[in-house]
Formats: sequence, structure tokens, C-alpha cells
Amino acid sequence: MELLPWEKIGPQYKKSYERAGMLVDLDRCIGCHSCSVSCKTENDVPLGNFRMRVRYLEQPDNNQISFTPLICMHCVDAPCLKACPSKAIKKKEDGRIWIDESRCDLEKECVQACPYGAISINVEKDVAEKCDFCQHRTDNGLDPACVDNCPTDALVFGDLADPESRISQLAKKRQAKPWKEEAGTNPSVLYVSHAKWMEEKANTGVQLDVKDEDITYEQNNLK
Amino acid sequence: MKTDRRSFLKLGALATAAELFPLTLGLQAKDNSLTNFASTRLDYTKAKATPTICFGCTNHCSVIGWIQNGIVRKFEGNPLDPNTQGNLCSKAQGMISYTYYPERILYPLKRAGKRGEGKWQRISWDEAYEMIASRLKRLRANGTPEEFVFHYGRDKTKGMTKHFTNAFGTPHRLNRRSICSSNRRAPLMSFYGRDFEWETQDLENTKYVINWGANPYEAYQGGLFMAHRLQKSIVENDAKMVTFEVRPSATANKSQEFFTVMPGTDGAVAGAMIHTILKEGLEDKEFWNRWANYPLEKLTEDVKDYTPEWAEAESGVPAADIRRIAIEFAKAAPACCTMSNRGSAKHYNGMQADRLIRTLDVLVGNVGKPGGYCLSSLRGWSGHYGQEGLPQLKMPEPKAPSPKPWGIGEGFNETAFKKLPQEVQDRVNAFPDKWRKKYFGELATPSEYPLSWHWYSMRVGQLVYPYINEGRQKIDTYLSFTLGASFGYPEAKVAREVLLDEEKVPFHVAIDIGYGEQTALADLILPEATSLERWDYHSTNCYGLIPYTGLRQPLQKPMGESKPITEILRTLAHKIGDGMEKHYTYQDDESLYKDWYKNLPISWEEFKRRGIWQDETRLKDYELYERLLTEAELTGATIPTEEGALVLGGQGKTTGKPIGIIKDGKPVRGFPTPNRIINVFDPIFPEAAKAVGLPLSDGNASPKPVYHKVPEHVDLPENRFIFSTFKWNVHTQGRSGHWKYAAEIIHTNPAFMHPDTGKKLGFKEGDEIEISVYRPTGHTYRAGEKGVMGSFKNHVRFLKGMHEKVVMCSHHVGHFEHGIVGKSDDKESSPVEGKDPSLTDKDIKDGVWWSKKKGGIGGGVHINDALPINPAPLIGGQNWYDNVCSVEKV
Repeated sequence: MELLPWEKIGPQYKKSYERAGMLVDLDRCIGCHSCSVSCKTENDVPLGNFRMRVRYLEQPDNNQISFTPLICMHCVDAPCLKACPSKAIKKKEDGRIWIDESRCDLEKECVQACPYGAISINVEKDVAEKCDFCQHRTDNGLDPACVDNCPTDALVFGDLADPESRISQLAKKRQAKPWKEEAGTNPSVLYVSHAKWMEEKANTGVQLDVKDEDITYEQNNLK
Repeated sequence: MKTDRRSFLKLGALATAAELFPLTLGLQAKDNSLTNFASTRLDYTKAKATPTICFGCTNHCSVIGWIQNGIVRKFEGNPLDPNTQGNLCSKAQGMISYTYYPERILYPLKRAGKRGEGKWQRISWDEAYEMIASRLKRLRANGTPEEFVFHYGRDKTKGMTKHFTNAFGTPHRLNRRSICSSNRRAPLMSFYGRDFEWETQDLENTKYVINWGANPYEAYQGGLFMAHRLQKSIVENDAKMVTFEVRPSATANKSQEFFTVMPGTDGAVAGAMIHTILKEGLEDKEFWNRWANYPLEKLTEDVKDYTPEWAEAESGVPAADIRRIAIEFAKAAPACCTMSNRGSAKHYNGMQADRLIRTLDVLVGNVGKPGGYCLSSLRGWSGHYGQEGLPQLKMPEPKAPSPKPWGIGEGFNETAFKKLPQEVQDRVNAFPDKWRKKYFGELATPSEYPLSWHWYSMRVGQLVYPYINEGRQKIDTYLSFTLGASFGYPEAKVAREVLLDEEKVPFHVAIDIGYGEQTALADLILPEATSLERWDYHSTNCYGLIPYTGLRQPLQKPMGESKPITEILRTLAHKIGDGMEKHYTYQDDESLYKDWYKNLPISWEEFKRRGIWQDETRLKDYELYERLLTEAELTGATIPTEEGALVLGGQGKTTGKPIGIIKDGKPVRGFPTPNRIINVFDPIFPEAAKAVGLPLSDGNASPKPVYHKVPEHVDLPENRFIFSTFKWNVHTQGRSGHWKYAAEIIHTNPAFMHPDTGKKLGFKEGDEIEISVYRPTGHTYRAGEKGVMGSFKNHVRFLKGMHEKVVMCSHHVGHFEHGIVGKSDDKESSPVEGKDPSLTDKDIKDGVWWSKKKGGIGGGVHINDALPINPAPLIGGQNWYDNVCSVEKV
């Protein structure tokens, strides 16, 4: 019997990556929040925390709004990894950065160190938490939840070290660049069609409602 | 403030191992051991996948549910679904939120205090059934079955509720089509026939889209199906989308050009585009002459004054842009199409605006062409137009007969008819036979709005409560099914007032999954199984242009004592007896649906495994109208010798139904209109106007598409604005306010306005303002009444993409029921008797972080009480976006 797509899931379908990475195509993103809600459902992220979040940014010279999903950039030179005094933040062979919750002493140095505001404190578990490219999914041959649940193919997961991979091809063709490149952390998440003004505006707080003092910004050291 | 909220989060931290589970369900398998905590993360090697149909909005995408330890943990798209092509949006995960919502109603409840007082007593299903059945039996015994009114918000049973009301004998199965889309469906059915109440643009292949106020990137019937196709065409094939909107919707934001347009002037822009295309000679004469029922010369004459300069004065859209876009659009034909929805249609002139927009597609000849304005029938699988050759899928017999129409004469229900006000009787008696045969009283078929039921039943939902209030229809038992009228209808307070009046509504039973504004006003609440706990037949029009069908199937047993609507109605039918039971011969829901699908070429088990069936070998639905009728279809048909005349007979022999048309000497299908061509000109509009006394000078009465101004927008004073509403992408009408992840993202609805508007009025961002709304002035309900109709307070948010004359709030939030998340509260508030205390959610146990009681901003403002009931003439669609308002700083 021919297996259906969702029947082809398991360790035998796991793909290996030399450098796991993600491409975020802002031309394709429609700001629907499917990625962030999917991430929260998948990873049971508490209210008040986001591993993936979608920003709405008013364009400076136009009447339109740009959308941008923001996530842990899985930096090659990850400042969080260096900052963690309890060595709870680790790097996998494929380059993804993850938090070993059993070692996290909640020193919060990582939250301060991250230039992307990608780490927050999960007060239910009393640990720092962030994206790990859905290790439990990629171990079974799936893409991270946000990628599989993006309705417009704005998120692409793959091997940045393989020049033939779809992500590498797209990154080259669409001239993808890191968010806040000057932070110098060599991120493994690359953006298509993002602009400097977005980087400045993404963390200022006001998204949809000027009176909403979004607690999630405090959590991520974004204010 | 910061410290406070941090400490709130700290205090919210839970200590015990059991509570570390994402969901603790006493009703399901549960495992409280600490060792299992690490493994509570979804494990795809252990979880079970089952396809079903999402109920997050009206798209109804096939999704794969992942179930672990008996709990539905996650949804993914179903790659076999030809509409979604494997995609889904955030709302699918919302099904998990509402199924495991701790304030879900799980047991039947009987009112214990005064109606609306919030006091309840848990009762058994037997007692609940007896309460309803005894009343309904009496109505049948008295010969007044019409005093039972079934009113639904979202019914996707594809006929099972109608089966019940038919078997019972009441025509009162009411919906809310007018709230949603009747103004835009009417032009489509007038142009293309009853089978095409919704179009299916070929967005995979399009090069140019002009969008009038549709927002498929956020909220639209078919939105998700369109969004991913359009984004692909735009990014990969250089397709272009131009949007006319009043606010920066997600669709407007992703459009290559976005123009703000004065509300209610979309028709002027479309009219000027018709004018331009004709002037430039870019029309497709061959297509028009072959398929349109109106001479091009007349159209040219009709639009001669619709110059781009005139349209600029009306709409604010620059004439040069209108001209340029019209030319670009026509040159892209046939790989171009229009889109429109509430932005153009939910106005006094919306029906005619959409007729003008629809004319553009016919004019450039893109109808049914690759990349163009395609039509793919969405009506079930019973051999309807475009679905010939598919396996017949029909609701199993025995079918219950429809009630008799109301009127005087043989075959009419004279008793019910004679109870109507004399004025109504006189109007109906003067109707032509085609309408008299479709008339079923003022709630189901309001006589002042004949076009709302001329093509098919598009109820004028917002008039139901005023009509009950006026005594136009006496009712005894009122059943709300998944209905949020008390929150979401215009002048929602009228719904609440009427529901609180025990003389007007002697008995109110509500069937729903949660405790909302509507259920709170019931005498009896019946807990409904959620979409994850029941079956449904599913079919809709396919944007891949090949028909398909999908199955909703349960992923778990109904929790508590909740039951699927199908089971509730079947049991009730048996309890009522009196012959009703004869219409319910199936044993259980699965056997019903198995029978329904018995003609599928794959087995029932395989269908359940896949969730979707499609014959991929079929030709796409391009140019269906040019397809030759088959020998079989022509058997017995009367084939006229003259070119262009109707072909009668064939499958429609007995009824004399038109089945095609002769073109170039050959019998082709044509369109499913009575004359088998496209009715750009339609005398139904003046005919309806004459029948209800609408002056023929009113634009709605015009047989040809025209632009006419929204009456109350004429000479709009400087200090008056248009108040409008919109939908966010994470929400779905008033149904999602209690979905925790949706509410976390959008829980407020500030008043959006252009910064210049704010400055002119002396507002700063965040200022508290009062918005006061006035009644309309056209030929509609309570028109012309002076003074403020309703008002509310909210705070200001500036957005450069807003039209300068528009003030806008979203309408999803500001709930005063729907529990801890819906009310942005810090504690539960639904009746304890209906809940199961073992169903808890750690995330919301102590309230939500945006709760005012936690120092947050709170849950937004309820605005619908302040928006007047305003049905468009003839069709009855609510003119949501016409509201004239004034704004003041508080």
C-alpha cells in the first residue's frame, strides 16, 4: 500500500544537515500568525512567551504594513551560548542551538546576551526557552512546525552547507541576508526582502495596539 | 507595573507535577507521573494521525489531527486537499483551544433563575429532550409547527438540520446570510445562475487581479485557498494585484498597488474602468457578443459619463491610475480577474457595485479561461452544473418533504398565512407565482426583500428579532444553534431584549459548545460536540478547478455528555414521534455518512484514511459553457433549429428545464441561467422593486449595472466619518474570542484612523474617544430617524493606510460572556454546573496576562450594539460599512 505523506514520518525519514538553517521570505509572508500559533501549540509555549512571533511594521514611506516573523537565529557564533554560566545552552552537530532544560539555572544571562530577543523565561517550568528548530519533528523527517504550517511557503528549512539544497538555492537567488547582520553572530536564519528600518522598528513594542504594553517584550528583553 | 506583571507570571508558575501537563483531562486518558512530563512533548512516533475538516472558519480545509494519549495535540495541513494543497492557518489550532476549553459546556443545563440571570441547574439528557419534545409535540398537534424556529450561525451539516425542520414541518430554518454575503451573491447568481453563488478565480495562472475590498489573506470564504495561490503567482510569476480598500488589510499590504477608496464608491471605480476599456477598444467583442445578454453599444452608452475623472471625484482614486489599471487589466486578459467582497458589497449600493465589477470580467472575456474569472460549482455532488460524470453523493433517503408555501390556494399553507399582518398578505398575494411558491412567512422569506429568497434562501437574519418584536410572526420555541446574534448581529441589544422577553420568546433552547452571549439567554442549553468529535459531509468549490469532497470525522469521543447536532436532532425526532421518526432510519452517524458516500470509487475505510477524494483525471473546469452536451444529455431534448435558442428537455425534460444553448449550430452547455447566457442586464431588479414599492429611481431597482450613491453619504459633513469594521486573520467572526492563542495575539480593537484625521480632530494616539453612530437614510429599516443610534468608547490608534474619512474597529472582541479568555478575566465565570472541573488548562487557570485585573489592557470593546440594522433594499444584506458617525474626545 502506498503510504500517505503523514504516514511517512519516523526516525527512518530523518534528514541530515551539516548546517540547519531557515529562510524567511518576507515577500511571501502574509502576517497570518500560523507559524507562531503552530509553534505554541506544538511546543506548548505558555501564554506570555513566544518562540516565534510575527511583527507588523508600518512602512516609513508608504501606506502599507510589512510583516516579519522573528525567531531564534541559531547563530554560528551564538552569544547566548557563551553567556550561559551553567552551560545549559548547547550546539548540535547540525549547528542548531538548544537549551538543555535540565541544566538551566535561570541565570537569564542568555536573555540579555541575545541581540534578537529570541529567548524568554518560561515561568511554568522555570527555565529559559527558545526555538530549537523543532528537534522532535526534524528527528522524524518533518520540517519545524512553523515551516510546515506556513500557508504561503514563506519559511524554508534545510541545509545551508549544501549548495544544492532548496534553501541554499533560494538564498542565493533571492539574495537572502541575516537580520541585524552587524551583530556579527553569523545567523543560520536568513531573510529575503528585509530592510534596515524593519530591524529598528521590530523591537520598539507597538504592534497593533498602542496601549498594549506587551508583556512578551519584557520577557524577551526587547524593551 | 513591570514588576507587578512579572510577579504575576511568577505566581502563576505551577508547582505540582500533575499540573505541568499541557492539558489535564479527567475525562480522557491521563497520566500524571513526573517521569512522563519530559515525554509530553508531541512524539510523532507514538501519536496517531487522522484527517478531518477544519471548522476554524468558513474555508473548511482538510487537516491532519495528531492525537497523543487520547488528546488532540496538533493540526497540520492535508497535502491531498486540492484547495489547500497542504496548507492551513492558525485557526486550525483554535479547534484545540475550544475543544479543551475549561469553560466548555459539557452537560445539559436548565435555567434555575430568571432568564438571563445566569443561574443554572444540571439536568439529564432525558429531561432535556422531554422539555423540548413536549413543546414541539404540542405545536404539531395544534397544527402550528411554524411556531418552532431553528436559527443557526454556522451549520455545516449539509442538509441535516434542514432535514429536521422539514420533517417537523416548519419553514423556519433561519441563517445569517445577510450578515455575511447576500449583497455579493445576488449579482453572481443573476449573472451566472444559481450554481454560482461564489466564483473560483484561477489564481494559480493569473497575471493580474483587481481587488475591491476582499481580504482573502485574512478572512474570506476560500481565503486560504486563494492566498497561497496568489502569493505564488505574485512572487514566482510576476502577477500583480491591485487593491481598493479603506484600511491596510493583509491583502492590501501584500498588493503591488493599494489605493484607499471612499467607502461605498467601489462601483464608481469599476464603472470608470468599463468606460476606459470600451474607449480604448480593449474589450473582447467576440466573447461579449457570444455570451452577454446586453448589447455592447448599450453598455457603452450606459457608462459614457463614468469617466475616470468623475470616478476620482467620487472615490478619491486618481483618474490616471484608474485609466492605467483598467488598460493593464484588459491587456492581461484572459489571465486576469476581479475579486470583491464585503468592501464593495456591504453597502446600500453594494449589489450594483458588484454588478459593475462582474461586468469587467465579461467585458475582457476572461470568464472560465486559464488565469481568469473561473466558475467551479460548489453545490454538492448531485450532477449540478459542472459536476456531470462525478459519482452521485446524496444524503440518504428517506427525504423529508418541504413544508408548503404560505399563501392562498391549493397547495398553500393558508392557516399560517392568514395570521400574517394584512399589509404583508396583500403584498404577497400580488407577487408573481414564482415568488408565491417560494414564500414561507416573514422570518424565512421577508416579503420586503424578495431577492433574498428569489435564487435561494439567504435569510435576512438581522430582521428576525425586530420582526418577532413587532409580532409579525408568533413563535413558541426558538432554537439557537451555534448562533452569536446577541453579540455579533447589528443592534445586538435588540436580539438580547427580544430573547429576554418571555412573551415574545416563550422558550429558548441553545445548542452550542460554550457559554456565550446567546446561550446565556436560553432556558435550556444543550452541549454540542465540537468539530473534533463529529462527522460531516464536505464539499466546496475548488480553486484547483477540479471538484473534490472531504470528510469531517471524529478524532475523539464527545467529551462529557456533549453530543453531535445530528444525534441530538435524531433523538428529538424519535421522542417527538408522530411520523417524524420515519425520516430517521439510520442507526448512528457513521452509518449515515458511510451511506452518503457509498458511490465513491474508494472504500469507506480508505476515504477515512485519506480524508479527501478527487478524480484528478478530470479536465479542469475551464470554459464549461463551451462544452458540448452529451448524447445522453440530449436524449429527449427539444432541439430548436434557430441559433441561440434554448435546448429544453434532456435531464430536465419533465420540468422543461433549460440544459444548454445552440452556438454555431452545436448544442453547448452555456451557463446555468434560465437563458443559458450571462445576464449583465437583469429585469429581476425592477420587478422586485415594483413588487415592494421601492421607487424605480433607487439605484437598486436598475436592470442594468449602475453606480448610485449611498444616500447618507451624500454631502457628508466635514465632522462626520464612516464607521467600519473588519476581521483579523487569527479570529473568526465572534467565535474565536476565547481561543487562547488567537486572543493572545488580538484581544483589543482600538479605533484605527489616519494620523491626519486624528490630528484634525485633536487626538493623540491612545486617547479615549467616543464614537456615535447614526441611522441610515435610504429605503431601509428605521431609516431617517434622527439622533445618535448608539455609541461606544474606545482608544485611538493611527495607521497611515487608513482612508481619511474612515474610523474602524475590529468586531471579534469585547465579549461579555465566553469565560475567562473571552472576557479577558482572571477567573472562570461560566456556570459551574455545565463544566467538568477536571478539564483544566494551566495557561489560563489564573487568567490571561492582558486582563485588566492583571494590569493589562483588557479584552476590547463590544461595538455591535451601536451599529444600526441596515438591510440593503430588495436583497437584505446588512450594510455594515455605511455607518455615518461622529467622534469626540472623552
